[in-house]
Parts: sequence; C-alpha cells; structure tokens
Amino acid sequence: MEAVKKYSETELVQLLKQKQQFAFSYLYDNYSGALLSVIINIVNDTELANDVLQEVFIKIWKQIESYDELKGRLFTWMLNVARNASIDTLRSKGYQNSQQNRELTEASYDAGGTTQLQTDVMGLRKVVHQLKDEYKILIELTYFKGYTQDEISKMLSIPLGTVKTRLRTALIQLRTVIK
Amino acid sequence: MNIDTYISSGVVESYVLGLADTQEAAEMEMLIPQYPELKKAIEEFEISLEVAAFANAVTPSEDTRKQLMLALQDDFVATVIPITKSEDTPKVIPFSNTTSTTQKSWVKYLAAASVILLVASAALNVYYYSKYNEASSQVTALLNEKNNLTADNQKMQVKYLDLFGNFGLMTDPNMVKVSMPGIKGKENNLATVFWDSKTKDVYLLANKLPEAPSDKQYQLWALVDGKPVDAGMLTDCNGICKLKVIEKAQAFAITLEKKGGSPTPNLNELYVMGNVRA
Repeated sequence: MEAVKKYSETELVQLLKQKQQFAFSYLYDNYSGALLSVIINIVNDTELANDVLQEVFIKIWKQIESYDELKGRLFTWMLNVARNASIDTLRSKGYQNSQQNRELTEASYDAGGTTQLQTDVMGLRKVVHQLKDEYKILIELTYFKGYTQDEISKMLSIPLGTVKTRLRTALIQLRTVIK
Repeated sequence: MNIDTYISSGVVESYVLGLADTQEAAEMEMLIPQYPELKKAIEEFEISLEVAAFANAVTPSEDTRKQLMLALQDDFVATVIPITKSEDTPKVIPFSNTTSTTQKSWVKYLAAASVILLVASAALNVYYYSKYNEASSQVTALLNEKNNLTADNQKMQVKYLDLFGNFGLMTDPNMVKVSMPGIKGKENNLATVFWDSKTKDVYLLANKLPEAPSDKQYQLWALVDGKPVDAGMLTDCNGICKLKVIEKAQAFAITLEKKGGSPTPNLNELYVMGNVRA
C-alpha cells in the first residue's frame, strides 16, 4: 500500500485548479479541522459552524482561480474566506432572528449575567482574550464581528484616528502573544 | 521609508488578518516584492496563525464531508481509467464515484436535450397535423371541382361534336332545307327540316317550339300528294334529330300529339308548316 502522498501548497493549488477530486479530498482532510476552529471562534455554534464550513469549502473550490500565491499562503487565503463567510452568517437575517429568540429565553434564566455567554473560548479568540480590554474589544469588533473602523469609531464614540492607532497596537501585541 | 518601522507598525498583521483596507493592501502588495524582510515578516505571522488554528483544530461532522462531496460531484473532472490490453476476457470496470458522476451529468444533458427535442417535435406535430388537415380538405375540394369540370367538359365535347355534325349536315350540298314557320296564331314558332335528297333521311331542327306537356309529344308529318304521312316523333335529341326516311313529300308540318304519336294528325294542334321548294 502506497503511503499517503503529501502535497506542497503549490502542487495542491495546481491540482485544485485542474478540478481534481482527490486534491479536494486532500484539502478537506488536511484543512477542515483548522478552518472549523476558526469558524466556531466567530459563530459560537458547532452545528452552525459545520454548515458554514461546507459553504466555505464550496467557495474555496469555486474561487480557487482567484487565489494568488504571491499575495500569501493558501491557508491565509482560506482563513479569510472562512472568516468572511462566518461574519456573513452572523449578519444574515435568519441567524439574527434565531438569536433574538434565544436571547429572550436565555435572558429569563440568566438575568444579570454577561450578554455574551463564552463557555468554551479557544484558538485565536482565546489569544485575543489575553489582551488588555481596550485592545480586546477592537479586535473582537473588527476581526470577529466584521465591523469597519468607521463603524467602531461611532459605536464606541472614539475618534477614528484613535481607533486606527489602537488597533495597530492591538495587532502588534497579538503578534507577540500568539508566538 | 524605514521598512523595519513599517513592518512593526501592525500593518503586517492587519494585512494578513484581512483587516487592511484596499489602499493599505495595495501599498503592501507593492512593497512585498521589494523587501524580502517584509515578505518574511508576513509569512511568519501567517504561519503562527496557521499553527494556532491547527493546534485548536475541531474535527467536522462526517455528514459535512458527505454533503460537500455530493454538492460538488458534478464539478469534479473524470479520472481516466487505464484500460489494460487483454482482449480475451472482457474486463469489468467498476464505476468509481467520479466516472459515475460524469456519466450522470452526461445523462442529465442528454435527458435535458431529449426533453427539449420531444417538446419541439410535439409542437411541430400539432402544427403539421393542422396543416395536413387543411391541405387534405383543400385537395378534396379541388378533386371535386376537377371532376365537375371534367364532366362539364365531356358534356361540352358531346354537344360540340353533335353541333359539328349538325353543321356538316346543314352544309351538305345534297341537303334540302325546308323552313317551317308558325301558322296563323302561332307565328312565333319555327322549325326546320333538312331532307337528304340522296338517302331521303329527314332531320329536324326545332328552332322555336314551346316545351311539350309531359303527356304529349311533337310529331312531324310529311304531306305526300295531299295525305299526311308520319315522319317520326321529336325526342330529347341534341340540336338536330334524325327522324324517318321519307321518299317523297311536298310539305312538312308539326302537330302536338299524345305521347307515342298518332296515326293521323290533330290539325287543331298544328304548330308549324312549310312547303318543299321544287
């Protein structure tokens, strides 16, 4: 029995562009777990995250032509596809409605508790949670919720310039924490 | 520009995490080829993110994979199955997932195409059937018309031949023409006898005679030495009727008699009369 072949990113991308099923299977088997953790980080719901994961892999498959090796690693590209799809899901009408229902029922039991119930924070979000609050909130809102810096400036009543510099600082700190 | 300051300004993280705006990203992409240290910094952060993600990997449900493969099955290219050269025994080639899906998509296209063709041909059938009905009723009408015309034409031909024959009779130099005008009180009437001086055949042309009642018939008489001799009955002949042979006569006359004729003329019903010119 032949050992399972390992593909370099370049080889893999090329095979994916040729629409080879085994390349897709390989991609899924090797990257789905890591991508799912990122999606769960954002949508906070494993079942929903699995749905988003499916959507993400379909997007990766259909949009592989637009991936440019010169601009970054394959995983980084897929990570961004996953993040965008997750944020889109959070913002979709169906999700918002289901959240409203949930908040109503949970509010009756959890009166006084935190609005965001973080039972199992992990991955990048866990790293972010090690940052100081003023930085944490900026990364939460931009990276995990997808708000623009302009929107954040209005939401938090902080000047846009301040949001920019603080976010930069937050990102530099994130880099040191993640290493 | 001090590249080290740029690198440590947070733009690298912003770029990699997809938080950079279009302008920032464009600037970054322009600088990457120029500064290997920038590229290196980007890659380092990418890898640290990747490592963190892999460290926290969550296995997706088995259903997710199945549904995904099902959703994309028509997108995968067919994997070529190598065919060995053994010709003696036909080789059973199991349909792998990929081939069956491409066959499926083939079949789908074929099915779609055949449905379209079927609908189109059904529409044409209806169209041509109505055209056929229209044409076939037109053909029937034309055939009827043609038959009528042929019948008319035959009638005309017969009439023409008769008239031509009559014309021949009238212009025959041996023919003696006896004009019979209407007698007093019946001046409107007229008939003509053509009498062949050689064969002694008598022909009659009823130029103008009222139609005979259904129980009566016109009878031609030859006056031979003061005595009327039956010269024949007028029938429904075309134009000129051939009657009896009369050897000798000084005059001809027509009376209306009972059907089949009478042995002697009813002079009360005398219509026309004319003398044979010597």
